Amino acid sequence: MYSLLGILPHFDLAGTVEKITNTLTNAWSPFFNAIQAIGSNLTDGLTHFLQAIPPTLFLVACAVFAYWINRKQHKMGLSVFIVLGLWFIYNQNLWVPFMDTLSLIIISSLLSIIMGVPMGIIMAKSDIAQSIIKPILDFMQTMPAFVYLIPAVAFFGIGVVPGIFASIIFALPPTVRFTNLGIRQVPKELTEAADSYGSTEWQKLIKLDLPIAHPTIMAGINQTIMLSLSMVVIASMIGAPGLGRDVLSALQRAQVGNGFVAGLGIVILAIIIDRFAQKLNKHVDKQN
Amino acid sequence: MFTTRLKKIIMIGLSIGTMALLLTGCGNNSQSSSEQKKEVKLSYVEWDTEVASTNVIAQVLRDLGYKVEITPLDNAVMWQAVASGKSDGMVAAWLPSTHSAQYKKYGKDMVNLGPNLEGAKIGLVVPDYVKADSIADLKNEADKTITGIEPGAGVCMKTEKALKEYPNLKGWKLETSSSGAMVTALGKAIKDKKAIIVTGWSPHWMFATYKLKYLKDPKNVFGGEEHINTMVRKGLKKDMPDVYKVLDNFHWTVDDINSVMLDISKGMKPEDAARKWIKGHPDKVAEWTKGIAKK
Repeated sequence: MYSLLGILPHFDLAGTVEKITNTLTNAWSPFFNAIQAIGSNLTDGLTHFLQAIPPTLFLVACAVFAYWINRKQHKMGLSVFIVLGLWFIYNQNLWVPFMDTLSLIIISSLLSIIMGVPMGIIMAKSDIAQSIIKPILDFMQTMPAFVYLIPAVAFFGIGVVPGIFASIIFALPPTVRFTNLGIRQVPKELTEAADSYGSTEWQKLIKLDLPIAHPTIMAGINQTIMLSLSMVVIASMIGAPGLGRDVLSALQRAQVGNGFVAGLGIVILAIIIDRFAQKLNKHVDKQN
Repeated sequence: MFTTRLKKIIMIGLSIGTMALLLTGCGNNSQSSSEQKKEVKLSYVEWDTEVASTNVIAQVLRDLGYKVEITPLDNAVMWQAVASGKSDGMVAAWLPSTHSAQYKKYGKDMVNLGPNLEGAKIGLVVPDYVKADSIADLKNEADKTITGIEPGAGVCMKTEKALKEYPNLKGWKLETSSSGAMVTALGKAIKDKKAIIVTGWSPHWMFATYKLKYLKDPKNVFGGEEHINTMVRKGLKKDMPDVYKVLDNFHWTVDDINSVMLDISKGMKPEDAARKWIKGHPDKVAEWTKGIAKK
Protein backbone atom coordinates (compact mmCIF):
# COMPACT_ATOMS: atom_id res chain seq x y z
CA MET A 1 0.00 0.00 0.00
CA TYR A 2 3.04 2.29 -0.03
CA SER A 3 2.93 4.78 -2.82
CA LEU A 4 5.21 7.60 -3.73
CA LEU A 5 2.62 10.13 -2.60
CA GLY A 6 2.51 8.59 0.86
CA ILE A 7 6.14 9.25 1.74
CA LEU A 8 5.53 12.60 3.37
CA PRO A 9 3.81 12.57 6.76
CA HIS A 10 0.10 13.42 6.90
CA PHE A 11 -0.42 17.15 7.16
CA ASP A 12 -3.30 17.91 9.51
CA LEU A 13 -4.83 20.89 7.71
CA ALA A 14 -8.25 20.41 9.30
CA GLY A 15 -6.77 20.52 12.79
CA THR A 16 -4.67 23.55 11.95
CA VAL A 17 -7.63 25.50 10.61
CA GLU A 18 -9.62 24.56 13.71
CA LYS A 19 -6.80 25.82 15.94
CA ILE A 20 -6.40 29.07 13.99
CA THR A 21 -10.13 29.74 14.19
CA ASN A 22 -10.16 29.08 17.93
CA THR A 23 -7.20 31.37 18.51
CA LEU A 24 -8.76 34.08 16.36
CA THR A 25 -12.05 33.77 18.19
CA ASN A 26 -10.38 34.18 21.57
CA ALA A 27 -7.80 36.82 20.70
CA TRP A 28 -10.01 39.03 18.60
CA SER A 29 -13.21 38.69 20.58
CA PRO A 30 -13.38 42.39 21.64
CA PHE A 31 -13.01 43.39 17.99
CA PHE A 32 -15.61 40.90 16.80
CA ASN A 33 -17.97 41.91 19.60
CA ALA A 34 -17.64 45.56 18.63
CA ILE A 35 -18.46 44.77 15.00
CA GLN A 36 -21.34 42.60 16.16
CA ALA A 37 -22.72 45.45 18.29
CA ILE A 38 -22.33 48.12 15.63
CA GLY A 39 -23.65 45.86 12.89
CA SER A 40 -26.69 44.71 14.77
CA ASN A 41 -27.52 48.26 15.88
CA LEU A 42 -27.22 49.46 12.31
CA THR A 43 -29.42 46.73 10.84
CA ASP A 44 -31.88 46.93 13.72
CA GLY A 45 -32.13 50.67 13.14
CA LEU A 46 -32.70 50.23 9.44
CA THR A 47 -35.20 47.41 9.99
CA HIS A 48 -37.15 49.44 12.55
CA PHE A 49 -37.16 52.37 10.17
CA LEU A 50 -38.36 50.25 7.23
CA GLN A 51 -41.00 48.59 9.36
CA ALA A 52 -42.19 51.90 10.72
CA ILE A 53 -43.13 53.03 7.21
CA PRO A 54 -46.79 52.22 6.69
CA PRO A 55 -47.01 49.45 4.05
CA THR A 56 -49.39 51.51 1.90
CA LEU A 57 -47.01 54.46 1.87
CA PHE A 58 -44.07 52.20 1.02
CA LEU A 59 -45.98 50.58 -1.81
CA VAL A 60 -47.13 53.90 -3.30
CA ALA A 61 -43.67 55.47 -2.93
CA CYS A 62 -42.00 52.54 -4.71
CA ALA A 63 -44.58 52.58 -7.50
CA VAL A 64 -44.27 56.35 -7.99
CA PHE A 65 -40.48 56.10 -7.98
CA ALA A 66 -40.66 53.31 -10.57
CA TYR A 67 -42.91 55.49 -12.73
CA TRP A 68 -40.58 58.44 -12.28
CA ILE A 69 -37.47 56.62 -13.47
CA ASN A 70 -39.48 55.35 -16.45
CA ARG A 71 -41.18 58.67 -17.10
CA LYS A 72 -39.57 59.26 -20.51
CA GLN A 73 -40.85 56.01 -21.96
CA HIS A 74 -44.29 56.39 -20.37
CA LYS A 75 -44.15 52.76 -19.31
CA MET A 76 -46.29 51.55 -16.43
CA GLY A 77 -45.12 47.92 -16.36
CA LEU A 78 -42.76 48.15 -13.40
CA SER A 79 -45.14 50.26 -11.31
CA VAL A 80 -47.94 47.78 -11.86
CA PHE A 81 -45.61 44.92 -10.95
CA ILE A 82 -44.53 46.68 -7.77
CA VAL A 83 -48.10 47.35 -6.67
CA LEU A 84 -49.13 43.73 -7.29
CA GLY A 85 -45.92 42.25 -5.87
CA LEU A 86 -45.86 44.26 -2.65
CA TRP A 87 -49.58 43.76 -2.17
CA PHE A 88 -49.03 40.00 -2.52
CA ILE A 89 -46.28 40.11 0.11
CA TYR A 90 -48.50 42.06 2.49
CA ASN A 91 -51.41 39.76 1.78
CA GLN A 92 -49.33 36.63 2.57
CA ASN A 93 -48.24 38.09 5.94
CA LEU A 94 -44.67 38.32 4.71
CA TRP A 95 -44.25 42.07 5.24
CA VAL A 96 -42.07 41.84 8.34
CA PRO A 97 -39.70 39.12 7.00
CA PHE A 98 -39.65 41.00 3.70
CA MET A 99 -38.35 44.12 5.43
CA ASP A 100 -35.83 42.06 7.42
CA THR A 101 -34.51 40.64 4.16
CA LEU A 102 -34.47 44.06 2.52
CA SER A 103 -32.36 45.58 5.28
CA LEU A 104 -29.98 42.58 5.24
CA ILE A 105 -29.47 43.12 1.53
CA ILE A 106 -29.15 46.90 1.74
CA ILE A 107 -26.49 46.68 4.45
CA SER A 108 -24.50 43.85 2.90
CA SER A 109 -24.62 45.40 -0.60
CA LEU A 110 -23.65 48.84 0.70
CA LEU A 111 -20.70 47.41 2.62
CA SER A 112 -19.69 45.34 -0.41
CA ILE A 113 -19.73 48.44 -2.59
CA ILE A 114 -17.87 50.57 -0.06
CA MET A 115 -15.14 47.93 0.18
CA GLY A 116 -15.30 46.62 -3.37
CA VAL A 117 -14.99 49.74 -5.52
CA PRO A 118 -11.75 51.00 -3.90
CA MET A 119 -10.37 47.46 -4.02
CA GLY A 120 -11.17 47.30 -7.74
CA ILE A 121 -9.48 50.66 -8.31
CA ILE A 122 -6.32 49.52 -6.52
CA MET A 123 -6.39 46.33 -8.55
CA ALA A 124 -6.70 48.27 -11.81
CA LYS A 125 -3.87 50.64 -10.95
CA SER A 126 -1.38 48.00 -9.82
CA ASP A 127 -0.56 44.71 -11.48
CA ILE A 128 0.94 43.39 -8.25
CA ALA A 129 -2.29 44.10 -6.39
CA GLN A 130 -4.20 42.37 -9.15
CA SER A 131 -2.11 39.23 -8.95
CA ILE A 132 -2.65 39.11 -5.17
CA ILE A 133 -6.35 39.99 -5.04
CA LYS A 134 -7.53 37.85 -7.95
CA PRO A 135 -6.91 34.42 -6.38
CA ILE A 136 -8.47 35.66 -3.14
CA LEU A 137 -11.61 36.64 -5.05
CA ASP A 138 -11.72 33.21 -6.72
CA PHE A 139 -11.40 31.61 -3.30
CA MET A 140 -14.16 33.76 -1.81
CA GLN A 141 -16.57 32.91 -4.59
CA THR A 142 -15.95 29.20 -4.93
CA MET A 143 -15.54 28.19 -1.30
CA PRO A 144 -19.01 26.86 -0.41
CA ALA A 145 -20.77 29.26 1.92
CA PHE A 146 -21.62 26.48 4.37
CA VAL A 147 -17.93 26.19 5.19
CA TYR A 148 -17.70 29.55 6.89
CA LEU A 149 -21.05 29.42 8.66
CA ILE A 150 -19.52 27.92 11.80
CA PRO A 151 -16.60 30.39 12.07
CA ALA A 152 -19.08 33.19 11.33
CA VAL A 153 -21.06 32.08 14.39
CA ALA A 154 -17.91 31.76 16.49
CA PHE A 155 -16.90 35.32 15.56
CA PHE A 156 -20.21 37.15 15.50
CA GLY A 157 -22.72 34.94 17.28
CA ILE A 158 -26.08 34.17 15.75
CA GLY A 159 -28.34 36.63 14.02
CA VAL A 160 -28.08 39.14 11.27
CA VAL A 161 -24.40 40.14 11.59
CA PRO A 162 -22.85 36.74 10.73
CA GLY A 163 -25.40 36.62 7.90
CA ILE A 164 -24.05 39.91 6.56
CA PHE A 165 -20.51 38.59 6.99
CA ALA A 166 -21.32 35.49 4.92
CA SER A 167 -23.18 37.54 2.30
CA ILE A 168 -20.30 39.96 1.86
CA ILE A 169 -17.75 37.19 1.37
CA PHE A 170 -19.94 35.69 -1.30
CA ALA A 171 -21.20 38.87 -2.96
CA LEU A 172 -18.19 41.20 -2.90
CA PRO A 173 -16.12 39.76 -5.80
CA PRO A 174 -18.22 40.95 -8.81
CA THR A 175 -17.98 44.58 -7.72
CA VAL A 176 -14.19 44.31 -7.41
CA ARG A 177 -13.80 42.41 -10.68
CA PHE A 178 -16.04 44.72 -12.71
CA THR A 179 -14.46 47.88 -11.29
CA ASN A 180 -11.04 46.52 -12.21
CA LEU A 181 -12.24 45.49 -15.67
CA GLY A 182 -14.00 48.79 -16.35
CA ILE A 183 -11.00 50.93 -15.45
CA ARG A 184 -8.57 48.71 -17.34
CA GLN A 185 -10.74 49.08 -20.44
CA VAL A 186 -10.48 52.87 -20.49
CA PRO A 187 -8.92 53.64 -23.93
CA LYS A 188 -5.17 54.33 -23.81
CA GLU A 189 -5.57 57.43 -26.00
CA LEU A 190 -7.81 59.09 -23.44
CA THR A 191 -5.39 58.36 -20.62
CA GLU A 192 -2.53 59.75 -22.68
CA ALA A 193 -4.55 62.85 -23.50
CA ALA A 194 -5.28 63.37 -19.82
CA ASP A 195 -1.60 62.90 -19.03
CA SER A 196 -0.56 65.42 -21.67
CA TYR A 197 -2.88 68.02 -20.17
CA GLY A 198 -1.14 67.44 -16.88
CA SER A 199 -3.93 65.80 -14.90
CA THR A 200 -3.02 64.36 -11.55
CA GLU A 201 -3.73 60.70 -10.78
CA TRP A 202 -6.69 61.74 -8.67
CA GLN A 203 -8.16 63.92 -11.43
CA LYS A 204 -7.71 61.10 -13.94
CA LEU A 205 -9.53 58.73 -11.65
CA ILE A 206 -12.49 60.98 -10.85
CA LYS A 207 -12.92 62.69 -14.22
CA LEU A 208 -11.88 60.01 -16.66
CA ASP A 209 -11.65 56.46 -15.34
CA LEU A 210 -14.71 56.31 -13.14
CA PRO A 211 -17.13 58.00 -15.58
CA ILE A 212 -16.06 55.74 -18.46
CA ALA A 213 -16.00 52.61 -16.31
CA HIS A 214 -19.29 53.57 -14.70
CA PRO A 215 -21.63 51.24 -16.65
CA THR A 216 -19.32 48.28 -16.03
CA ILE A 217 -19.04 49.11 -12.33
CA MET A 218 -22.82 49.37 -12.08
CA ALA A 219 -23.17 45.97 -13.74
CA GLY A 220 -20.84 44.57 -11.08
CA ILE A 221 -22.82 46.21 -8.29
CA ASN A 222 -26.01 44.77 -9.71
CA GLN A 223 -24.42 41.32 -9.60
CA THR A 224 -23.34 41.92 -6.02
CA ILE A 225 -26.89 42.80 -4.98
CA MET A 226 -28.29 39.70 -6.67
CA LEU A 227 -25.66 37.44 -5.07
CA SER A 228 -26.34 38.82 -1.60
CA LEU A 229 -30.01 38.11 -2.23
CA SER A 230 -29.16 34.52 -3.04
CA MET A 231 -27.43 34.20 0.35
CA VAL A 232 -30.65 34.98 2.20
CA VAL A 233 -31.63 31.34 2.73
CA ILE A 234 -28.16 30.21 3.81
CA ALA A 235 -27.86 33.19 6.17
CA SER A 236 -31.07 32.08 7.88
CA MET A 237 -29.31 28.86 8.94
CA ILE A 238 -27.24 31.00 11.31
CA GLY A 239 -30.20 32.94 12.59
CA ALA A 240 -30.58 35.85 10.17
CA PRO A 241 -34.24 36.84 10.16
CA GLY A 242 -36.24 37.27 6.97
CA LEU A 243 -37.81 35.39 4.10
CA GLY A 244 -34.96 32.86 4.11
CA ARG A 245 -36.16 31.60 7.47
CA ASP A 246 -39.58 30.81 6.01
CA VAL A 247 -37.99 28.99 3.08
CA LEU A 248 -35.73 26.96 5.34
CA SER A 249 -38.49 26.01 7.74
CA ALA A 250 -40.73 24.99 4.84
CA LEU A 251 -37.93 22.82 3.47
CA GLN A 252 -37.36 21.09 6.78
CA ARG A 253 -41.05 20.52 7.39
CA ALA A 254 -41.87 19.50 3.79
CA GLN A 255 -44.41 22.30 3.34
CA VAL A 256 -44.44 22.83 -0.43
CA GLY A 257 -46.97 25.66 -0.32
CA ASN A 258 -45.28 27.75 2.38
CA GLY A 259 -41.91 27.31 0.73
CA PHE A 260 -43.27 28.46 -2.61
CA VAL A 261 -44.92 31.54 -1.16
CA ALA A 262 -41.78 32.63 0.74
CA GLY A 263 -39.64 31.87 -2.31
CA LEU A 264 -41.93 34.00 -4.44
CA GLY A 265 -41.40 36.83 -1.96
CA ILE A 266 -37.64 36.62 -2.62
CA VAL A 267 -38.26 36.59 -6.38
CA ILE A 268 -40.42 39.72 -6.16
CA LEU A 269 -37.75 41.50 -4.12
CA ALA A 270 -35.08 40.43 -6.62
CA ILE A 271 -37.05 41.69 -9.62
CA ILE A 272 -37.80 45.05 -8.00
CA ILE A 273 -34.17 45.64 -6.96
CA ASP A 274 -32.83 44.45 -10.31
CA ARG A 275 -35.12 46.70 -12.37
CA PHE A 276 -34.33 49.72 -10.21
CA ALA A 277 -30.60 49.12 -10.49
CA GLN A 278 -30.75 48.55 -14.23
CA LYS A 279 -32.87 51.62 -14.85
CA LEU A 280 -30.55 53.87 -12.87
CA ASN A 281 -27.62 52.44 -14.78
CA LYS A 282 -29.20 53.08 -18.20
CA HIS A 283 -30.24 56.53 -17.10
CA VAL A 284 -26.61 57.44 -16.47
CA ASP A 285 -25.56 55.76 -19.72
CA LYS A 286 -27.68 58.12 -21.73
CA GLN A 287 -26.28 61.15 -20.00
CA ASN A 288 -22.81 60.08 -20.87
CA MET B 1 -22.50 65.51 -15.94
CA PHE B 2 -21.12 62.61 -13.99
CA THR B 3 -19.59 64.60 -11.20
CA THR B 4 -22.87 66.32 -10.33
CA ARG B 5 -24.45 62.89 -10.33
CA LEU B 6 -21.65 61.57 -8.16
CA LYS B 7 -22.17 64.42 -5.75
CA LYS B 8 -25.85 63.62 -5.63
CA ILE B 9 -25.14 59.97 -4.92
CA ILE B 10 -22.68 60.90 -2.19
CA MET B 11 -25.25 63.25 -0.66
CA ILE B 12 -27.88 60.54 -0.68
CA GLY B 13 -25.37 58.13 0.83
CA LEU B 14 -24.46 60.57 3.56
CA SER B 15 -28.06 61.32 4.42
CA ILE B 16 -28.87 57.62 4.65
CA GLY B 17 -25.81 57.25 6.85
CA THR B 18 -26.82 60.00 9.24
CA MET B 19 -30.36 58.67 9.33
CA ALA B 20 -29.06 55.24 10.24
CA LEU B 21 -26.89 56.75 12.96
CA LEU B 22 -29.83 58.70 14.37
CA LEU B 23 -31.91 55.56 14.33
CA THR B 24 -29.11 53.68 16.02
CA GLY B 25 -29.26 56.27 18.76
CA CYS B 26 -32.99 55.69 19.14
CA GLY B 27 -32.41 51.94 19.17
CA ASN B 28 -29.94 52.32 22.02
CA ASN B 29 -32.34 54.41 24.07
CA SER B 30 -35.19 51.98 23.77
CA GLN B 31 -32.81 49.19 24.72
CA SER B 32 -31.65 50.82 27.92
CA SER B 33 -35.21 51.61 28.99
CA SER B 34 -36.25 47.97 28.63
CA GLU B 35 -33.17 46.65 30.32
CA GLN B 36 -35.09 45.64 33.42
CA LYS B 37 -36.96 43.20 31.23
CA LYS B 38 -34.26 40.65 30.53
CA GLU B 39 -34.27 38.88 27.24
CA VAL B 40 -33.93 35.11 27.01
CA LYS B 41 -32.45 33.75 23.80
CA LEU B 42 -33.25 30.15 22.97
CA SER B 43 -32.15 28.39 19.82
CA TYR B 44 -33.58 25.32 18.16
CA VAL B 45 -33.63 23.35 14.94
CA GLU B 46 -36.74 23.27 12.76
CA TRP B 47 -37.45 19.63 13.56
CA ASP B 48 -41.02 18.90 14.53
CA THR B 49 -40.16 17.85 18.08
CA GLU B 50 -37.98 20.88 18.70
CA VAL B 51 -40.48 23.32 17.19
CA ALA B 52 -43.04 21.96 19.66
CA SER B 53 -40.89 21.86 22.79
CA THR B 54 -39.13 25.19 22.17
CA ASN B 55 -42.38 27.02 21.56
CA VAL B 56 -43.95 25.57 24.71
CA ILE B 57 -41.05 26.45 27.02
CA ALA B 58 -40.71 29.89 25.38
CA GLN B 59 -44.40 30.56 25.99
CA VAL B 60 -44.08 29.45 29.63
CA LEU B 61 -41.21 31.90 30.12
CA ARG B 62 -43.17 34.65 28.35
CA ASP B 63 -46.08 34.05 30.71
CA LEU B 64 -43.62 34.65 33.56
CA GLY B 65 -42.89 38.07 32.08
CA TYR B 66 -39.69 37.43 30.17
CA LYS B 67 -39.00 38.59 26.67
CA VAL B 68 -38.10 35.40 24.82
CA GLU B 69 -36.52 35.23 21.41
CA ILE B 70 -36.38 31.85 19.69
CA THR B 71 -34.06 31.44 16.72
CA PRO B 72 -34.17 28.49 14.33
CA LEU B 73 -30.67 27.40 13.35
CA ASP B 74 -28.76 24.62 11.70
CA ASN B 75 -28.05 21.79 14.19
CA ALA B 76 -24.27 22.30 14.44
CA VAL B 77 -24.78 26.06 14.65
CA MET B 78 -27.26 25.61 17.51
CA TRP B 79 -24.66 23.68 19.56
CA GLN B 80 -21.98 26.19 18.72
CA ALA B 81 -24.25 29.09 19.68
CA VAL B 82 -24.96 27.71 23.17
CA ALA B 83 -21.34 26.63 23.71
CA SER B 84 -20.03 30.10 22.90
CA GLY B 85 -22.68 31.76 25.07
CA LYS B 86 -24.32 33.57 22.14
CA SER B 87 -27.53 31.74 22.94
CA ASP B 88 -28.86 31.10 26.45
CA GLY B 89 -29.92 27.53 25.86
CA MET B 90 -31.78 24.90 23.90
CA VAL B 91 -34.06 22.00 24.65
CA ALA B 92 -33.04 19.92 21.64
CA ALA B 93 -30.01 17.76 22.49
CA TRP B 94 -30.68 14.15 21.49
CA LEU B 95 -28.51 11.91 23.65
CA PRO B 96 -26.71 9.62 24.09
CA SER B 97 -26.28 8.64 20.45
CA THR B 98 -27.92 10.99 17.91
CA HIS B 99 -25.90 14.06 18.84
CA SER B 100 -22.95 12.24 20.40
CA ALA B 101 -20.54 13.95 17.99
CA GLN B 102 -21.76 17.45 18.87
CA TYR B 103 -21.91 16.61 22.58
CA LYS B 104 -18.31 15.44 22.49
CA LYS B 105 -17.20 18.65 20.83
CA TYR B 106 -19.30 21.24 22.66
CA GLY B 107 -20.63 19.48 25.76
CA LYS B 108 -17.85 20.65 28.07
CA ASP B 109 -18.59 24.29 27.22
CA MET B 110 -22.20 24.16 28.40
CA VAL B 111 -24.33 22.97 31.28
CA ASN B 112 -26.31 19.77 30.83
CA LEU B 113 -29.65 20.09 32.66
CA GLY B 114 -30.66 16.51 31.96
CA PRO B 115 -33.52 15.07 29.94
CA ASN B 116 -36.71 17.02 29.23
CA LEU B 117 -38.20 14.06 27.38
CA GLU B 118 -37.55 10.35 27.75
CA GLY B 119 -38.54 7.51 25.45
CA ALA B 120 -37.26 8.95 22.21
CA LYS B 121 -35.79 6.58 19.66
CA ILE B 122 -33.93 6.54 16.37
CA GLY B 123 -33.51 3.78 13.80
CA LEU B 124 -34.46 2.53 10.38
CA VAL B 125 -38.18 2.82 9.72
CA VAL B 126 -40.33 1.11 7.10
CA PRO B 127 -44.05 1.09 6.25
CA ASP B 128 -45.76 -1.86 7.95
CA TYR B 129 -46.39 -3.66 4.61
CA VAL B 130 -42.64 -4.19 4.17
CA LYS B 131 -41.93 -7.83 5.06
CA ALA B 132 -38.61 -7.35 6.82
CA ASP B 133 -38.82 -7.00 10.61
CA SER B 134 -35.16 -6.58 11.36
CA ILE B 135 -32.25 -4.84 9.68
CA ALA B 136 -30.69 -8.30 9.34
CA ASP B 137 -33.69 -9.38 7.17
CA LEU B 138 -33.14 -6.76 4.48
CA LYS B 139 -32.23 -8.17 1.06
CA ASN B 140 -32.74 -5.88 -1.91
CA GLU B 141 -35.75 -3.77 -1.00
CA ALA B 142 -36.08 -0.25 -2.41
CA ASP B 143 -33.17 -0.69 -4.85
CA LYS B 144 -30.84 -1.23 -1.88
CA THR B 145 -31.24 2.39 -0.91
CA ILE B 146 -31.96 3.97 2.46
CA THR B 147 -33.52 7.42 2.30
CA GLY B 148 -31.74 9.64 4.81
CA ILE B 149 -32.13 13.15 6.16
CA GLU B 150 -29.45 15.85 6.27
CA PRO B 151 -25.90 14.54 5.78
CA GLY B 152 -24.13 14.72 9.11
CA ALA B 153 -27.34 14.20 11.11
CA GLY B 154 -26.80 11.70 13.92
CA VAL B 155 -29.23 9.16 12.55
CA CYS B 156 -27.44 9.25 9.17
CA MET B 157 -24.06 8.71 10.80
CA LYS B 158 -25.46 5.69 12.66
CA THR B 159 -26.89 4.39 9.39
CA GLU B 160 -23.45 4.60 7.78
CA LYS B 161 -22.18 2.53 10.66
CA ALA B 162 -25.01 0.02 10.19
CA LEU B 163 -24.14 -0.33 6.49
CA LYS B 164 -20.69 -1.47 7.57
CA GLU B 165 -21.72 -3.71 10.44
CA TYR B 166 -24.56 -5.69 8.81
CA PRO B 167 -23.13 -8.11 6.22
CA ASN B 168 -26.47 -8.28 4.38
CA LEU B 169 -26.28 -4.53 3.69
CA LYS B 170 -23.19 -4.92 1.51
CA GLY B 171 -23.68 -2.84 -1.64
CA TRP B 172 -26.49 -0.79 -0.06
CA LYS B 173 -26.25 2.95 -0.02
CA LEU B 174 -27.59 5.80 2.04
CA GLU B 175 -29.03 8.68 0.10
CA THR B 176 -29.02 11.80 2.23
CA SER B 177 -31.46 14.64 1.63
CA SER B 178 -33.34 16.69 4.20
CA SER B 179 -35.96 15.91 6.84
CA GLY B 180 -38.61 17.44 4.61
CA ALA B 181 -37.53 15.52 1.53
CA MET B 182 -37.41 12.27 3.52
CA VAL B 183 -40.99 12.66 4.75
CA THR B 184 -42.16 13.56 1.25
CA ALA B 185 -40.44 10.49 -0.23
CA LEU B 186 -42.00 8.33 2.50
CA GLY B 187 -45.47 9.68 1.79
CA LYS B 188 -45.09 9.08 -1.94
CA ALA B 189 -43.80 5.51 -1.48
CA ILE B 190 -46.71 4.68 0.83
CA LYS B 191 -49.18 6.08 -1.69
CA ASP B 192 -47.68 3.84 -4.39
CA LYS B 193 -47.34 0.90 -1.95
CA LYS B 194 -43.64 0.70 -2.71
CA ALA B 195 -40.94 -0.47 -0.33
CA ILE B 196 -38.96 2.32 1.32
CA ILE B 197 -36.51 2.41 4.19
CA VAL B 198 -35.98 5.75 5.90
CA THR B 199 -33.83 7.01 8.74
CA GLY B 200 -36.52 7.70 11.31
CA TRP B 201 -36.89 9.03 14.80
CA SER B 202 -39.68 9.39 17.27
CA PRO B 203 -41.48 11.29 18.57
CA HIS B 204 -42.47 12.40 15.08
CA TRP B 205 -45.87 13.02 13.53
CA MET B 206 -45.13 10.55 10.74
CA PHE B 207 -45.95 7.72 13.15
CA ALA B 208 -49.38 9.22 13.75
CA THR B 209 -49.99 9.77 10.03
CA TYR B 210 -48.76 6.48 8.53
CA LYS B 211 -48.55 2.87 9.69
CA LEU B 212 -44.84 2.47 10.28
CA LYS B 213 -42.51 0.20 12.18
CA TYR B 214 -38.93 0.34 13.38
CA LEU B 215 -36.69 -2.41 12.02
CA LYS B 216 -35.14 -4.41 14.84
CA ASP B 217 -31.48 -3.70 15.36
CA PRO B 218 -29.85 -6.90 16.71
CA LYS B 219 -26.38 -5.39 16.59
CA ASN B 220 -27.60 -2.35 18.52
CA VAL B 221 -25.98 0.14 16.16
CA PHE B 222 -28.62 2.80 16.76
CA GLY B 223 -28.37 2.49 20.52
CA GLY B 224 -31.23 1.94 22.90
CA GLU B 225 -33.60 4.56 24.12
CA GLU B 226 -32.76 8.18 23.47
CA HIS B 227 -33.63 11.16 25.58
CA ILE B 228 -33.83 14.82 24.63
CA ASN B 229 -31.80 17.00 26.96
CA THR B 230 -31.89 20.64 27.90
CA MET B 231 -28.56 22.40 27.56
CA VAL B 232 -27.81 25.94 28.72
CA ARG B 233 -24.81 28.21 28.45
CA LYS B 234 -22.33 28.51 31.28
CA GLY B 235 -23.18 31.37 33.60
CA LEU B 236 -26.92 31.33 33.02
CA LYS B 237 -27.52 30.17 36.59
CA LYS B 238 -25.83 33.32 37.87
CA ASP B 239 -27.32 35.75 35.32
CA MET B 240 -30.90 34.50 35.29
CA PRO B 241 -31.46 32.04 38.14
CA ASP B 242 -35.22 31.84 37.57
CA VAL B 243 -34.90 31.04 33.87
CA TYR B 244 -32.30 28.44 34.75
CA LYS B 245 -34.70 26.88 37.26
CA VAL B 246 -37.59 26.73 34.81
CA LEU B 247 -35.41 25.16 32.12
CA ASP B 248 -34.07 22.71 34.69
CA ASN B 249 -37.62 21.75 35.76
CA PHE B 250 -38.86 21.40 32.19
CA HIS B 251 -39.83 17.77 31.72
CA TRP B 252 -42.72 16.25 29.81
CA THR B 253 -43.82 13.05 28.07
CA VAL B 254 -44.05 11.65 24.58
CA ASP B 255 -47.85 12.03 24.70
CA ASP B 256 -47.51 15.72 25.56
CA ILE B 257 -45.14 16.50 22.73
CA ASN B 258 -47.17 14.38 20.30
CA SER B 259 -50.32 16.39 20.94
CA VAL B 260 -48.48 19.67 20.23
CA MET B 261 -46.79 18.25 17.12
CA LEU B 262 -50.04 16.89 15.75
CA ASP B 263 -51.71 20.31 16.10
CA ILE B 264 -48.80 21.94 14.26
CA SER B 265 -48.74 19.33 11.49
CA LYS B 266 -52.46 19.93 11.00
CA GLY B 267 -51.67 23.56 10.24
CA MET B 268 -51.92 25.30 13.62
CA LYS B 269 -49.28 27.97 14.27
CA PRO B 270 -46.58 26.68 16.66
CA GLU B 271 -47.24 29.52 19.14
CA ASP B 272 -50.96 28.76 19.16
CA ALA B 273 -50.39 25.03 19.56
CA ALA B 274 -48.04 25.74 22.47
CA ARG B 275 -50.59 28.04 24.11
CA LYS B 276 -53.31 25.43 23.69
CA TRP B 277 -51.20 22.76 25.38
CA ILE B 278 -50.24 25.09 28.23
CA LYS B 279 -53.90 25.90 28.82
CA GLY B 280 -54.76 22.20 28.95
CA HIS B 281 -51.96 21.26 31.35
CA PRO B 282 -51.80 23.89 34.11
CA ASP B 283 -50.57 21.37 36.70
CA LYS B 284 -47.49 20.46 34.66
CA VAL B 285 -46.64 24.08 33.97
CA ALA B 286 -47.09 24.86 37.67
CA GLU B 287 -44.52 22.19 38.47
CA TRP B 288 -41.96 23.79 36.15
CA THR B 289 -42.54 27.26 37.55
CA LYS B 290 -42.91 26.30 41.22
CA GLY B 291 -41.61 28.98 43.54
CA ILE B 292 -40.84 31.45 40.78
CA ALA B 293 -42.41 34.88 40.99
CA LYS B 294 -43.80 36.59 37.94
CA LYS B 295 -41.71 39.51 36.81
